[in-house]
Amino acid sequence: MKPPVRKKRSFQRRKVCVFCADSGMKIDYKDVKTLNHFVTERGKILPRRISGNCAKHQRELTTAIKRARNIALMPFSIAST
Amino acid sequence: MRRYETIFITHPELSEEELSELQQKVNSILTAYKGDLIKLDDWGTKKLTYEIRKNSRGHFFLLDYLGGTDLIRELERNLRLHDRVLRFQTVRIGDQISPETLKALKEEVGTEKNSRTIERPEAAPEGGQKA
Repeated sequence: MKPPVRKKRSFQRRKVCVFCADSGMKIDYKDVKTLNHFVTERGKILPRRISGNCAKHQRELTTAIKRARNIALMPFSIAST
Repeated sequence: MRRYETIFITHPELSEEELSELQQKVNSILTAYKGDLIKLDDWGTKKLTYEIRKNSRGHFFLLDYLGGTDLIRELERNLRLHDRVLRFQTVRIGDQISPETLKALKEEVGTEKNSRTIERPEAAPEGGQKA
């Protein structure tokens, strides 16, 4: 009478890095619109396991976000309401 | 020569004189240290995501140029001393730019120069791979 064993993780993560898939997309620290896709609501950088980026692009992205933070284009943190 | 990009944020309420004085200073440093200006963009006043010296807004400038390390040192020293400059950041965007590419870059900027204020600078990547 046991229920069938289910797979623990049912969702499939997107395997391809967005920047590899679309070569027209560039990572630029001045382009806040793009960078905003890769941070949480609180302004933290999304981990690779969530965003699905490849290591190379994740690295570039991280420096870009940090540069943008430095010149106040992006927040270091957003206080919870 | 290397290609660099410096963003500096000034106080939001700068008078015309202060602005032109600052630009003149930048220009004189560039000529004194044999740098080559590609463009100086005025982004206008933007909201800062966090306060810098009690300012929630700032006037952004983007300076794109070729130069050497002594130029950067002098420029950053001046920006640091300037009490109306809130923040600055220099990033290297290209190595060993030849005179030909410099010419091409300048021409490219010249064609889009007509609009003085470019809100969102999309046109950055051509020579440099490093963002």
